[in-house]
Amino acid sequence: MSDDRRPIDNPTKQVDFNALLEWPRGIARLGVIFCLIVTAVLGVVYFVRAVDRLGDDAGRNAALNFDDREFAGGNSLVVDKRALYEARALIPEDGTYRVVAGPGVDGATELTEPYIDQFARSFLMPRRPAADARWILCYGCDVAELGGRFEVVWQNGAGIALGTIDE
Amino acid sequence: MTIQALLGLAVLNAFLLGVGIAMLWAIRGWRSWAELARLSGFAYMLGVALVGVTLSLELVLDVPFSLAAILVTGAALMLSSVAVRQLFARWRPASACERPRALGFVGAAFGLLVAIYLEALFRAGRLAGLSAWDAWAFWVPKAKAIYFFGGLDEQFFRELANPTYPPLLPALEASAFHFMGSPDVITLHVQFWFFACGFAGAVAGLLAPRVPGVVLGPCLLLVIVAPRVAGRNLDPQADFLLDYLFALAALLVALWLLDHEPWQLVSASLLLGAAMLTKREGLLLAACVIAAALVAGWRDHRYAWPRLGVAAAVAVAVAVPWRIWFSYRDLEGELPEAGFLGLFGHLDRAWPAFESVLSTVLDYELWLVIPALAAAGVVLAFIAGARVLPTFALVLYGLLIAGFTWVLWSFTELELPFVQDEGVNPIVRLTGSLVVVSGGLLPLLLDAAWRGGDRVTLEES
Repeated sequence: MSDDRRPIDNPTKQVDFNALLEWPRGIARLGVIFCLIVTAVLGVVYFVRAVDRLGDDAGRNAALNFDDREFAGGNSLVVDKRALYEARALIPEDGTYRVVAGPGVDGATELTEPYIDQFARSFLMPRRPAADARWILCYGCDVAELGGRFEVVWQNGAGIALGTIDE
Repeated sequence: MTIQALLGLAVLNAFLLGVGIAMLWAIRGWRSWAELARLSGFAYMLGVALVGVTLSLELVLDVPFSLAAILVTGAALMLSSVAVRQLFARWRPASACERPRALGFVGAAFGLLVAIYLEALFRAGRLAGLSAWDAWAFWVPKAKAIYFFGGLDEQFFRELANPTYPPLLPALEASAFHFMGSPDVITLHVQFWFFACGFAGAVAGLLAPRVPGVVLGPCLLLVIVAPRVAGRNLDPQADFLLDYLFALAALLVALWLLDHEPWQLVSASLLLGAAMLTKREGLLLAACVIAAALVAGWRDHRYAWPRLGVAAAVAVAVAVPWRIWFSYRDLEGELPEAGFLGLFGHLDRAWPAFESVLSTVLDYELWLVIPALAAAGVVLAFIAGARVLPTFALVLYGLLIAGFTWVLWSFTELELPFVQDEGVNPIVRLTGSLVVVSGGLLPLLLDAAWRGGDRVTLEES
């Protein structure tokens, strides 16, 4: 058995206050008491704050509609949720698509053009993105640059269109 | 969010608990049902690690991923546990320090606060949207790809961000989708609530017999209500799962250094392997744990070092197949741009990196005073005469800070001056591991400082 084994001792029992000033064990115990007071006080204060904030979060989440919950982070870059819902409804699950983004979307944020492709990749799965896909989600793109006859299936009138292309 | 999805998650987590209990029975056993109940959080985390590691290896080996595959995997793991139990029947819950002790009024009160907090966390998580950037950009899409295509789909795992990040979490999330019946990214947050409960239960269960409730309760509560922990631990990404696995592994290694119980090191090895398959930082964290244990185990080095070497080797072996998988496919991003030694060509980054790490670790708005309390615990334990525990903690904390500094120093794509915005600087997420590990180490250190030694023995001994 190692020399440094000591019996179990409950900190709440039989505290000899004079012994708390003895070096080294008394001072160490005094330090433990101080640390536990800080820990307990901060723990209770931040417990109240955490439960309060979590309650607010729960209320805010419950007040959201299904679309907002499903898009969540995408709300910062998706301009019109209907476009992605239409894409999900119209493009076959084993089909391919491509997102062509451009600056021509009314209401776009600075995140829309660089990241709409990334968001659609997750949202439209199991549909696969492909460079030569027939289905195109035009997110403010220049239709003339698509290089074929773009047949619009759905559009919102604000620069977003979903359709197929015959090249 | 539907009742069906919630029930599905409940079944999945009961399944993980079952696998973990089988493993616990194999490597340790229990003396009573009360003891099993006390260790159920620990058993659950063992189940998470074991199933997560096995599913990750199956994905790498191209085993089709499906609900049936998950169930067969779990059943095989349970049967394997029975076989292991036969081989290692001499392993028993041995030490006297495992004897149950009264929780006490203060401990019970803090236990109640932890339970209330977890209930509030559940309410916040059950209808949460997928807001965290990394979660919707690649963690959850990878899980969806596994769910839809039954494996590591080449296209998605190549095109999604951070293709070299390991697959353990996506595999568990894909399992959740299968049990829920659909890729329900809203209810998925509840899976992370289970992880949080498992971690809190594991720390409490492992330490309850040796640390008084008046010490354990406040320490555990403080860590789980720290602003950053309470605010982000339900995000469906790997950061907090990594922290939980690492923290439990570090705690078990600390206990093993004191008790030399085989089950502690076996469990730690599995958890370290799981950590390495959760995020690439897991390699760094595991190296810190092993190095700290080697230093703290110096006095028993003939006993400790070979065993630590085997435990580390097993953990690394678990993580190697994934590295082979992505290396074979020329996926990049695992190592810093400057390479392991290229950081000496960027000496100007060293001090700002260290400053960035230190200021984040000591950021009250993120972590309260937990790192300061941990430092105080180390000093007090040394003063009181303990050696093994405070040495382990001191070296571990020191290596973690050095390791985080190395990350910022060597990843030269991170621009100077560093800002603490986690979108461009990973340091906030990294430092979480240092704080979460304190949930287990701080009560041990304070208890050692109070008793004046490392080890717990019974009065009658």
